[in-house]
Amino acid sequence: MANFNTHFTVASGASAVVSATLLSMEVVTPEQAVIAFGIGTLGGLLPDVDSSHSTSIKVGFNVLSLLVTIMLIFVKSSTYSLVEMFVVASLMFVGIRYAFLEFFRKISKHRGMFHSIPVALIWGILVAILSQWFFGLNSLVSWVYGFMVTWGYLVHLTLDEIYSVDLGNRRIKKSSGTALKLGMFKNKQQKIQTALVYVAIPLLFMVAPSTDLLQTALFSQDAWLTFKDILIPYDGRWFFH
Amino acid sequence: MRQIIAIVGVSFLLVGCVQVPAPKPQAQPTLGTTIGIGSVQGSSRESSEYGTPPRRYATAIRNYFTTKLKRGAEARYKFSSPKRAFKRKGLAYGGELAWKGWLVETSVSVPTRAGRYLTPRPYMVLFSGEQVVEDILGNSHKLVTKVDK
Repeated sequence: MANFNTHFTVASGASAVVSATLLSMEVVTPEQAVIAFGIGTLGGLLPDVDSSHSTSIKVGFNVLSLLVTIMLIFVKSSTYSLVEMFVVASLMFVGIRYAFLEFFRKISKHRGMFHSIPVALIWGILVAILSQWFFGLNSLVSWVYGFMVTWGYLVHLTLDEIYSVDLGNRRIKKSSGTALKLGMFKNKQQKIQTALVYVAIPLLFMVAPSTDLLQTALFSQDAWLTFKDILIPYDGRWFFH
Repeated sequence: MRQIIAIVGVSFLLVGCVQVPAPKPQAQPTLGTTIGIGSVQGSSRESSEYGTPPRRYATAIRNYFTTKLKRGAEARYKFSSPKRAFKRKGLAYGGELAWKGWLVETSVSVPTRAGRYLTPRPYMVLFSGEQVVEDILGNSHKLVTKVDK
């Protein structure tokens, strides 16, 4: 299993490549590309939030508590006084960062369904839904952010699988196959968990933004031609534009 | 198991709570609407709530996108006729009514840096009178409701 620093470095590198490509393809603006990079990097740390004492869980909950607190301040800034806002925001921050974190540590188990491909998809869909419903972003940007979370998440799972092969001793560790998996099927409880996750995907899609723009921007003939245009200089003039 | 139920449950709570209520009807004049001049017809009263539709929307949209989009000056446009619509703020900003007026569905095709024209992208352009107030990429958005289909 890769450590926090490795996950952080690889996820940020992979996110930088994708967000720079999206920027070059003019799918996102420079500001959106920076946010996409940050979201992709966070996505790369997300699978380990189910590990009680990992750095990921601390980083994840710091970000979550700050995000929710800032959102609360946005919503209440026009009606609350500064003192009211300070009290409510402090309570919200402490509640999430400490109380909810403790609760989450108690109910979570490392390397369960959190380390699976369908949960990576669920996180992506959830981010797309929140981006549109909560922040009013358009469908394309919402899905780009969702895509970046899933991308970072899958990079994390792939890295864990790579680290489960001990190249020096030429053996496969016990952890092999526990990260990049489609579900858990060993016993009835695991099958129910897997089924619940798979049922959640189409249900979440029902309230998610339309995927038409994402398909056209990233997974179409047009997108492929645009990618070819930006991959190498389209007019053959290297470094002289 | 509890962990998965918690995740799925929280997801559904988040998603299930999202509901777009219809905009509150604006206060109607209570004086002089039915005396002497006759009653205000439903459709014209609704139209007045949304203001008058923009007449020079094509020019306004062209001018708007010329500066907004990369290579906007070379873009190709198609326009629908204006429709009444309203938009709510994102739930993070309170979710109340943010805009109410006329929306023009537009498709814009811009050339790439290599000069090839891309598949036209749909935009919803929101107007306040003759002024463009906002553009939204896509032909649907969860916070935008089109009154006229």
